[in-house]
Amino acid sequence: MSAATDHPVLDPALAPPFPMAALPVLRNVQLRKNVAHAIDVIQTKRARLVEEKTDWHALRTAAAAIKDETLANLGAYLEQFEERCTAAGGHVHWAADAAEARRIILELLREEGADEVIKIKTMTSAEIQLNPFLEAAGVRAYETDLAEIILQLGHGEPSHIVVPALHVNRSQVRDIFARTMGLKDLTDDPKALTAAARNYLRQKFLDVPTAISGANFLVAETGGVVVVESEGNGRMCLTLPKTLITLAGIEKVVPRFADLEVMLQLLARSATGERMNPYTSLWTGVTKGDGPQNFHVVLLDNGRSSILARKTERQTLRCIRCAACMNTCPVYRQTGGHAYGSVYPGPIGAILTPQLEQLRHAQSLPFASSLCGACYEVCPVKINIPEILIDLRARVTDQERHTVGKFFDPMYVGLRAANVIFSRAWLFHFAQWAGRIGAKLVTRRDGWIHSLPSVGAKWTQTRDLRGLPKQTFHAWWAERKAASQQVGGSASQRVGDAASDPTLSPKSGEKGGATSREAR
Amino acid sequence: MSAVADSRKKVLEAVNMATGAATGAGTAGSATRNAAATAGKAAEVPAEIPRGYVRRGDMTASARHERFVERLREYDAEVVECEPEGLAAAIAAQLAASGRRTFVAPEGLPAAWLAPGFDWKIDGNLEVRDVEQAEGVVTACFCGVADSGTIVLHHGPAEGRRVITLLPDWHLCIVRASQVVETLPEYFDRCAIRDQRSETRDQGAEKLPALVTWISGPSATADIEMTRIKGVHGPRFLNVILVRD
Repeated sequence: MSAATDHPVLDPALAPPFPMAALPVLRNVQLRKNVAHAIDVIQTKRARLVEEKTDWHALRTAAAAIKDETLANLGAYLEQFEERCTAAGGHVHWAADAAEARRIILELLREEGADEVIKIKTMTSAEIQLNPFLEAAGVRAYETDLAEIILQLGHGEPSHIVVPALHVNRSQVRDIFARTMGLKDLTDDPKALTAAARNYLRQKFLDVPTAISGANFLVAETGGVVVVESEGNGRMCLTLPKTLITLAGIEKVVPRFADLEVMLQLLARSATGERMNPYTSLWTGVTKGDGPQNFHVVLLDNGRSSILARKTERQTLRCIRCAACMNTCPVYRQTGGHAYGSVYPGPIGAILTPQLEQLRHAQSLPFASSLCGACYEVCPVKINIPEILIDLRARVTDQERHTVGKFFDPMYVGLRAANVIFSRAWLFHFAQWAGRIGAKLVTRRDGWIHSLPSVGAKWTQTRDLRGLPKQTFHAWWAERKAASQQVGGSASQRVGDAASDPTLSPKSGEKGGATSREAR
Repeated sequence: MSAVADSRKKVLEAVNMATGAATGAGTAGSATRNAAATAGKAAEVPAEIPRGYVRRGDMTASARHERFVERLREYDAEVVECEPEGLAAAIAAQLAASGRRTFVAPEGLPAAWLAPGFDWKIDGNLEVRDVEQAEGVVTACFCGVADSGTIVLHHGPAEGRRVITLLPDWHLCIVRASQVVETLPEYFDRCAIRDQRSETRDQGAEKLPALVTWISGPSATADIEMTRIKGVHGPRFLNVILVRD
């Protein structure tokens, strides 16, 4: 909830590159504290529950295999889901992209004559930017998940896919609720805040006849849909309205009902560090006398089929949106979610967003990682995120290679020049000579280079560079050869020579370097 | 209408094209690699899912029940145990201790469980407002899962419509010990799907209904600073009677 100028942009087409977007967050001490605190809590809980589960890795292996099988036969499973859901009284719609999904949903709402709608938290609807679209079309969307209410009332943006208001602390929540709900005497006790949200929404649940949900899983075998949640706002939206519209990415399908025995053992433990989330709802079509009598599923592609086509990247679509990868990521811990410029932050966002955008946007995200591999280790469906990051980096670099802009990139120009220079000995020696003169200009008296111009600054911004030794290796080698021919090649003489000159002995050189760095 | 049909075709075509001809990784997209990937597609996908996880527990009945109770309590549910003959009395005691008067009960709830001295609303087709005004609800369940402390509702006659276990603030659920399984997969074995050919299902498996709700403790949230707060929109109190049958 920082200044308006720092308002995060979560549209990949408009968001600044990651390093720039991360800056305001890195300067926001309160936000970083909030993120670190929340992550520490969740990580501790998850670690304890994963440890007690003796078959954790067998579950992960099974889950990855289930998802791979689904993805390999996705078309068939989607059609099976459609057939069974329809047979049970549901209506299935297909949307190739975000605009189509928004249009379908709006048309359904218009058919109902709805001017307001209650929503269960769905990141997919955030992905297609549904809320602003509905508002513009005159339909008021009420978020009902506590975190989403905090963001909606406080005009914030989600920074996490499971706990979207993770970056907001209790006193900030108090301020938002006190202001927007007109509760002057509200305290910052989470219990009081939760009760305020309960009262705020109760009437909406009872009055608004149309709801929008996401889906955690679609079951091809039965045509059923699964939503997991904690608060009961989901059950309200799934039970009380007359009409329910479920928006689901095409990768959400699992083949069999029994596959849920694997997925649902992994999801809550990975997501919130609980053995099971308080409520899991499974419904198939419509049931007379219980729940919405009009039920629609919108199946969304929006770039997913293009991910499916690539062998390495296909595993991205195994994701069950548990957020374990962001909770464990050292980069996310420092920057929080907004820096990723997408509703999908963290390591999964770094691979998912650029792919959903078909590398037209978010090209900086694959580089927003140290490749430490912690995300792969915790992933319940074993997505090899580092592998995909590297692959995407290669694709982004390949892409840049084919633009005219590359000639204005000093890094590109420099490396091309190096390519020419290093392949011709005379040019190399000339460049070396010229370089040594240049280096003298920037080397300080203490023998270190503290700041380099142009791209070199990327190095010296955060560390110093040792100045060049007095003599090049080539010069030393030529000298030594000449000397050995004169003296007759005494071994002790050679060793003594080298050891006496600190710039020539790698060991003493290193030591000297370390000492002077520490002294600084 | 034709636009809608077009989208379906477009999405399915894109999906089928992608799975029919998965290209090689990133930069290594040579023709031979592509051909190999297509030919080897079937081999990439495991013919059988490796289900090496624990499917059946090995606990004794009493250890299983103890774990179920312990895990429910960790969610902040209140649990008492009783013998079958003491059930009606146990229910009455729970109702009295709750300090509430009006309760909803599903149609199929045994008459003996409707303790006298309270206002009962029997749900066949109650209005939502009526359910909302009730202070509590009493139901049976389909199954209990010890490993995760989960109560499964299949919304049968004694479990009721979904709304009755949602709006009232206090839920008393009666679980028979024989309904408690140790692992989640054991619950799945108790569910039969219409075209199921698997032999692993239990003999007495019941047909999976269209509506299923799993309840693991009272409604809760951890959205504010990851602190678990009991009670948001669903019932704020979950009480369980475990009947040692």
